[in-house]
Amino acid sequence: MSMTTTRNFVLSLVLLTGALLLFNGGSSFAGTKSPATATANGQAIGTTAPAEPVEVEAEAMPARVPDPLYGWNKFWFTFNDVFYSRLMRPLAKGYKVVVPKKARTGLSNAYDNFTFPIRFVNCLLQLNFAKASKELGRFIINSTFGVGGLMDLAKSDPNLQPGNEDFGQTLGHYGMPEGFYIVWPFLGPSTLRDSFGMAGDAAANPLTWIFGPWSVHDDYNPWYWSYVIKGADVFNRLPETLEGYDAITKPAIEPYTAMKDAYIQYRRHAVEK
Amino acid sequence: MKLSPRISFTVLFLLTSVMPAMGGQATQTLSSSVDQVITLLADPAYKKATTHSEMRSKVVNTIKAIFDTTELSRRALGAQWKTFSPEQQKRFIAAFGDLLQNTYLDKIESYTDEKVQYLSEQDLGGTRVEIATKVVGKGKEIPITYRLVDHNGWKVYDVVIEGVSMVQNYRSQFGQILMHESPDALIAKISAKKS
Repeated sequence: MSMTTTRNFVLSLVLLTGALLLFNGGSSFAGTKSPATATANGQAIGTTAPAEPVEVEAEAMPARVPDPLYGWNKFWFTFNDVFYSRLMRPLAKGYKVVVPKKARTGLSNAYDNFTFPIRFVNCLLQLNFAKASKELGRFIINSTFGVGGLMDLAKSDPNLQPGNEDFGQTLGHYGMPEGFYIVWPFLGPSTLRDSFGMAGDAAANPLTWIFGPWSVHDDYNPWYWSYVIKGADVFNRLPETLEGYDAITKPAIEPYTAMKDAYIQYRRHAVEK
Repeated sequence: MKLSPRISFTVLFLLTSVMPAMGGQATQTLSSSVDQVITLLADPAYKKATTHSEMRSKVVNTIKAIFDTTELSRRALGAQWKTFSPEQQKRFIAAFGDLLQNTYLDKIESYTDEKVQYLSEQDLGGTRVEIATKVVGKGKEIPITYRLVDHNGWKVYDVVIEGVSMVQNYRSQFGQILMHESPDALIAKISAKKS
């Protein structure tokens, strides 16, 4: 048990060092463009059609995120699709029927309130003190008057709307490029940068510190509790997550590319906000 | 002397009435179409089996009038548009238009008593604007941004939700498909999808 703990710790150190190196050598990732974009740009530059308004070319594709792990990604995309959309969907449907919306919202509110440190720390890291104080305000109001975060009372104030800063966005804020696209089993689409982001978020998540391998374990505090809680949160939100998933993949001709593009666009927008 | 104050007053009046109208014209065009769709959907005749298809085609016509399918199709293909023959372009517009229609009609039909708020209109330059709206209802709020272009009247050429542009999403999909397949194969895939 202690050997694996040390190994995990060393592994995360290595990952962080790798991240720092990427900061400096980051331009190489941004510069990589897939052949498709190259030809598309070539066509756009080569053909001068005076009848065509310039607008379409001016709105050329933003920097493409390379996909060197296509085989792995496609496999896990299909796996996740089968797992969540086929296997878990009926369970999510049943869950939605059995547990009323107020209760499900209460649970997700409580979890979000609990993970306040993640958002707060990342607002500070981005030197966005206005956002940080909003997070703090939300946390205080919802923890006290909102009974441990079950009720999101702060939302009624237009100045205290929920935020969602995370470490991936912090890295993006400081100019780290996405790297490449990667699909994780169960966790879903991500990029190299956002994967470091997930590691950073785990470090800021109170669950890791309360239930992590470094705390005392006994019958009442098993090591896997943080995964169980996180898994429960994912399941609790599954009806909404599936709605969003369907919105992207159902109208898609090419669901894998649709998912990749939607994810990249969504994250870029989140970094900007 | 009696004439000039009248002329200047008329000019002033015209300026003040035309200027805000020009600024909010796109929003007015969009909101009238959206309101029309909402009214049709809320009409009890929509749910009735006998009149449902007639009401549905009314909604479809309203949507067709506000969405610029040609512009949408052109942008969804991007640089590949020119590699399509005029005949292929026509078939693509028809197939893609049907796909979008069926997709979003199914989604729109689930909305019943939502209210749409028009938050802002931003000029994107070159007869294009971006209108931020919010659909409020049933305890949830969905921010939707529309991009409109003025080719003889304002029409929608892109819908952006949470930073995800529909046109760009389809453009990456079609680009991926066209790397290995012909335009005809793509059109066939789109036509097969709507069924």
